[in-house]
Amino acid sequence: MKLKKYVTLTRAGIIESLQFRMSFLIMVIGNLLYLTVTYFLWKAIYASVDTDVVNGMTFTDTLIYLVLATALNGFLEMYLVWDIGRSIQSGKIVLDLLKPMPYRRYLFWSYSGSFATQFLFTFLPTFIIVSVVTHGAIPLGINLLWFVLSVVLAIVINYSIDFIIGTVCLYTESIWGINIMKQVVILLLSGATIPLAFFPDGLRTVVSYLPFQAIYNAPLSLLLHADPDMQTVCTTLGLQAFWAFALTLISTAFWNRSLRQITVNGG
Amino acid sequence: MEPIIEIKNVVKEFKVLNRHEGLKGSIRDLFSRDYKIVRAVDNISMQIGQGEIVGYLGPNGAGKSTTIKMMTGVLEPTSGEILVGGNVPYRNRTKNAQEIGVVFGQRSQLWWALPLIESFKILKDIYQIPDADYDAMLNFYQSLVDIEPLLHKPVRQMSLGQRTLSDILAAFLHNPKIVFLDEPTIGLDVSMKAKIRTLIHALNEQKHTTVILTTHDMGDVDALCRRIVIIDKGKMLYDNDISHLKQFFGSYRTLKIRIKGDLKQYAEEITGKLPECSVSADDEWVSILVDESKSTVMHVLDKLQKDYKIRDMQLEEISTEEVIKKIYEEGVK
Repeated sequence: MKLKKYVTLTRAGIIESLQFRMSFLIMVIGNLLYLTVTYFLWKAIYASVDTDVVNGMTFTDTLIYLVLATALNGFLEMYLVWDIGRSIQSGKIVLDLLKPMPYRRYLFWSYSGSFATQFLFTFLPTFIIVSVVTHGAIPLGINLLWFVLSVVLAIVINYSIDFIIGTVCLYTESIWGINIMKQVVILLLSGATIPLAFFPDGLRTVVSYLPFQAIYNAPLSLLLHADPDMQTVCTTLGLQAFWAFALTLISTAFWNRSLRQITVNGG
Repeated sequence: MEPIIEIKNVVKEFKVLNRHEGLKGSIRDLFSRDYKIVRAVDNISMQIGQGEIVGYLGPNGAGKSTTIKMMTGVLEPTSGEILVGGNVPYRNRTKNAQEIGVVFGQRSQLWWALPLIESFKILKDIYQIPDADYDAMLNFYQSLVDIEPLLHKPVRQMSLGQRTLSDILAAFLHNPKIVFLDEPTIGLDVSMKAKIRTLIHALNEQKHTTVILTTHDMGDVDALCRRIVIIDKGKMLYDNDISHLKQFFGSYRTLKIRIKGDLKQYAEEITGKLPECSVSADDEWVSILVDESKSTVMHVLDKLQKDYKIRDMQLEEISTEEVIKKIYEEGVK
């Protein structure tokens, strides 16, 4: 595998995403609005109970978690399903299929550029602000390394899930409903909107074995624990690696199978 | 000559849901298993040699794009064999992609937001084009058309003509053995069409690239192709030299004129004056079908101008559809 072939797509993605300054700005504003709502919602939740600590998390813990989850969501949320769906409907997919590399890989590397820019321009600033505002509530140590590793795995997992849903578009030729369903499932079961600590025990156990929590909960819990014991780190990363591997295989196989059945509108 | 593309008895069938009308019908369709088989390509065979430009013609829905998609490996034939440069395209799509270039008229493979030169650089890396070859190709392009001003323009700001031109250049960039051009001149003005034809011609000549061209524009065919293949309703109607086909359509052109007064009456008068032409009239135009092997349009026009005050005129080439109709009626000898 010649890396240059793929890195050039990353480079293109970075240049491309820097072209649209306005959409950047609007996204930041949108995120701020979402965070404001979150702030007041959880403030109300904490005000309604007598204790400071709910399910082992203080108000500050919860808020830090959710702010970072939102920032993470900013660059994990890609419009892959829309893009696949749209290019199937318009027939543009034919051109992508005719690139001299597998479609799944081609798309992944095309997106990688926007991962990089989003990480630098949304996640990193948010992280620094939260870190400063909370006076070091986020530990800065070896956990950062685990976090970065974990995010990379999360990207692979998230991409594979999106790609599987995108593949379904080959059959349904419609995108909207499926995509909304996927978003809701991921946002809820991944711990992006509600920390998993707030889930009832039974559900939490089930969720902890699903791939979704590996997208948000896993990297964030690695980040927010100052000195996690090696066993926790290994289990978390191990489970993520397992899902990343399994879902890559599944999505590739599903795509290859499905592609054989395509009937791209010809005329 | 060793053929670069070999197609043997290729058939492609699509399974299409039988749709019903109305709200009730649409709901029924949700659960329907009532499929019908549509044969888009029906037993087509041909061989194409390296360096040929083949015009692939047929009316809309004839199966042209389907055939091209099978040759590129995007679709798998239902039966029959296809070999492109020794590969079975749908089995080695990625490998095949390295050897071919494609332009699909209305769609662009270029990076929308980026200047053209960035797209070229990306393609250079994706296709792993050596630096020397890439530079040589860009110089060659520059000698054909003035690409310098285009290179630094974002693709989304280009006119349709500029974009098509860029797309064609992009398709040839990795010096593929075969380039598929699917209606490349659609929607372009006359001067841009001419420019694109010259470009395709030069690329074919210099790089010895095989070009498969689908079009509805007989002008494209005349300018570029020596050989044409015509299909209709999935079946092959014709595969031969263009000169051979000329006897069916080449010499016919329709001259349309507008004169003040009762056109029907003029039509009869003109028929009397020009016995070698067939003349008809509608509400707006008097149409005169001129067989140019017998008398030229200019000659006819000259004759008419002496007797009538012509207010407006149009000249129509015979269309692909008419050619096919003629072939149907008269058969191919």
